[in-house]
Amino acid sequence: MATAVSTPIKSHTGMFSTRTAGGRMPLTPSPRAQTTTLPLNKSSPFTPERNVSDAESIKVSSKSTYGGNLSSHFSKSSRATHRDSPKSNIAKSAQTPRRALELGVSDFTLTGTGCKTPGSSRSRKGPLRQKPTKTTLAFGDRFIPNRTASSAIATVGSGKLDLSDKQRPKTSGGESSSVLASGADDALAAMGSLSLDDEDESSTYSRPSPNTVAYQDSLASACGVSLNQRILAFKPAPPESTKPVDLRSQYNRPLKNANTASAQFRRRVATAPERVLDAPGLVDDYYLNLLDWSSGNQVAIGLERNVYVWSAESGTVSSLLETGPDTYVSSVKWSGDGAYVSVGLGTGEVQIWDVEEGTKLRSMHGHDTRVGVMGWNKHTLSTGARSGLVFNHDVRIAQHKVAELVSHTSEVCGLEWRADGSQLATGGNDNLVSIWDARSLAAPKFTKTNHKAAVKALSWCPWQPNLLATGGGSYDRHIHFWNSTTGARVNSIDTGSQVTSLRWSPHYKEIVSTSGFPDNSLSIWSYPTLVRNVEIPAHETRVLHSCLSPDGQMLATAAADESLKFWKIFEKKAGASSSAAAVASGKADMAKQMTIR
Amino acid sequence: MSVEREKDKSKVHRLSLKGSAKYVAEFFQYSINTILFQRGVYPAEDFTAVKKYGLTMLVSSDDQVKAYIKKIMTQLNEWMIGGKISKLVVVITSKDTGEHLERWQFDVQIFSKSSSKKSSKRAVDKENDVPEPSSAPPPAEKTEAEIQAEIQSIFRQVTASVTFLPQLEGDCTFNVLVYADADSEVPMEWGDSDAKEIKNGEKVQLRSFSTSNHRVDTLVSYRVGE
Repeated sequence: MATAVSTPIKSHTGMFSTRTAGGRMPLTPSPRAQTTTLPLNKSSPFTPERNVSDAESIKVSSKSTYGGNLSSHFSKSSRATHRDSPKSNIAKSAQTPRRALELGVSDFTLTGTGCKTPGSSRSRKGPLRQKPTKTTLAFGDRFIPNRTASSAIATVGSGKLDLSDKQRPKTSGGESSSVLASGADDALAAMGSLSLDDEDESSTYSRPSPNTVAYQDSLASACGVSLNQRILAFKPAPPESTKPVDLRSQYNRPLKNANTASAQFRRRVATAPERVLDAPGLVDDYYLNLLDWSSGNQVAIGLERNVYVWSAESGTVSSLLETGPDTYVSSVKWSGDGAYVSVGLGTGEVQIWDVEEGTKLRSMHGHDTRVGVMGWNKHTLSTGARSGLVFNHDVRIAQHKVAELVSHTSEVCGLEWRADGSQLATGGNDNLVSIWDARSLAAPKFTKTNHKAAVKALSWCPWQPNLLATGGGSYDRHIHFWNSTTGARVNSIDTGSQVTSLRWSPHYKEIVSTSGFPDNSLSIWSYPTLVRNVEIPAHETRVLHSCLSPDGQMLATAAADESLKFWKIFEKKAGASSSAAAVASGKADMAKQMTIR
Repeated sequence: MSVEREKDKSKVHRLSLKGSAKYVAEFFQYSINTILFQRGVYPAEDFTAVKKYGLTMLVSSDDQVKAYIKKIMTQLNEWMIGGKISKLVVVITSKDTGEHLERWQFDVQIFSKSSSKKSSKRAVDKENDVPEPSSAPPPAEKTEAEIQAEIQSIFRQVTASVTFLPQLEGDCTFNVLVYADADSEVPMEWGDSDAKEIKNGEKVQLRSFSTSNHRVDTLVSYRVGE
């Protein structure tokens, strides 16, 4: 309170001292001073003349609406004493001959628009005044028209603040400063007449650090609200959004995409193995392919020199063969009908066994290095060897070698026939992926060099025949997706670890990858969104091999920790007629739950 | 003196007022979360669904945001219980232009407060305290379920408001304002602010709810698109 009062008083003294010193002086300078200080007064050039001319003309008193407001304000306020004279003068001015003009003006001001008012109001006030007061009034005029608009209050406040700031340096009340000060008073007065609660307002004004913008704004708003209030903001900045949000995509997000956000609503994947078997002696060699699941629901696994067949139906295990002591099993592969197993050996020999009978049907020689990978296409068996050569064998005829596929310069470790047998994909330790056309095997149709490490994992998409997925080794860690018709790379995933095998789900639009160092996990990816639906920490050491059950629901993985695990990762929904329908209904549920956004 | 009166008042109201204040504060918490989600201040993945008020509410699961809101809520709780707050405002501001785009305002009325406020102004006038309890409007007996239903409809409206609110362009951030009594204790993190009103904004009054001690009105104002 005390400070609030003090400002006006100071200004008064200044004003009066000027008055006594020599009344004329303030008149002319004042408008200019104002123009400099207050941008509001655009019409200031006119004011001096009018003031002078009007000054002589009239000194009649009757109360205009304005005068009433002001005077009432002053009667309220404690600092009325000095003021009375100038303000009552204002009041008197209303009755001047000019009144008609004034009224027009005042109407105008009421309707709004601050720009024109200052000049007109000035003309109104000018007439009555004695010189010293006149200056103050001229200033005060500026604010009168503004009274009606609350926004103007803010400007008044700011004007006052500016003035008081400028005032300080001048200190002892030069004329201009006195003018300013008085202007400030008028500003206060104008405000006072507006607000119900004088005290609070003046106290707010008197706060020591008034010259921040926020403060002024708060004044403006405070005038509309109760003054017993403070608007408080929680000052710490809110945390940054982790990524830009485009609401447009979010509004229809639940309906549209299967992206990260909806991961929680995606189908549940059992993350525990259904079954764990020991696989003692499994050779920890990335370049071998020692696990396969037949269409007859039998699992063949090569463990050092033995091949075992585990029947998934009965759970029984039988030893199919044991190689000679000089070699080991480097690959096993079931024929398409599930009747035969081809076994690749470290010597380069390839044997074909009848599993039912437990007898060897034939041996095929040709490779002089180990056969790390094989693939059946009807009666054709393709074998890839460490030399980088791939042979096609017609297993029905004596001269079994029907084609030699020359492309790789280092060990072939991945080989996969497309389901329709028209294309063959091979991957090697030379980081190449070769795609062969079955009709012309002289040279690969495409040779892809994108991988930066050996390519063992190859898988053809079951629902899109020309889509091939290939995964690279530990230096590469990528899964690339290829259009085998055009040879274009259509997608890529950085998995973060060595990709040891890839299997497409026949039922879901998903692909599972197994990884070696560092994750040793299974990852299920949605395609084509490439979102990782789930990552299962599968084994303690790198997962070497994987294969899908004939019904496509179960994945078997063999790892260097010498265990064979079975995962029900593509479980069909009970009662769902088709997997696609199941997925769709899942999404519908999700939409319901998400509500609109 | 005033302390004594505070005590008296609290004796009369403490239990119900405190419970009600907590209820309202909780409502604020969910409101802030809902607004942040619905208006995309944070990505949708940061939110998890929880059951509340018989609805599936989305609350932020981002640690930083959670901590931020919690800090606000702790203080808010205190103020609510003290009956110091008349408005809570969530302002959404464009990061690019600094313009205030949306302003969610929750007006709080405390039923017994109006009389006590007046009396507190008249300083030592003890007479005013006596009639106070009786002068307070008899709290309308509302069951929990009724209150919940009211709150539910507010959240439904907030959710539905995305249909008429203009698209928020670019990155946005938010601020929480509180209209507190001048005599409130203000911790370090809180400071005076302007009202962050929206210039030439359009306003839509949403529903309100009331407990035995509080009434909360909801209002959203937003910038009208060019």
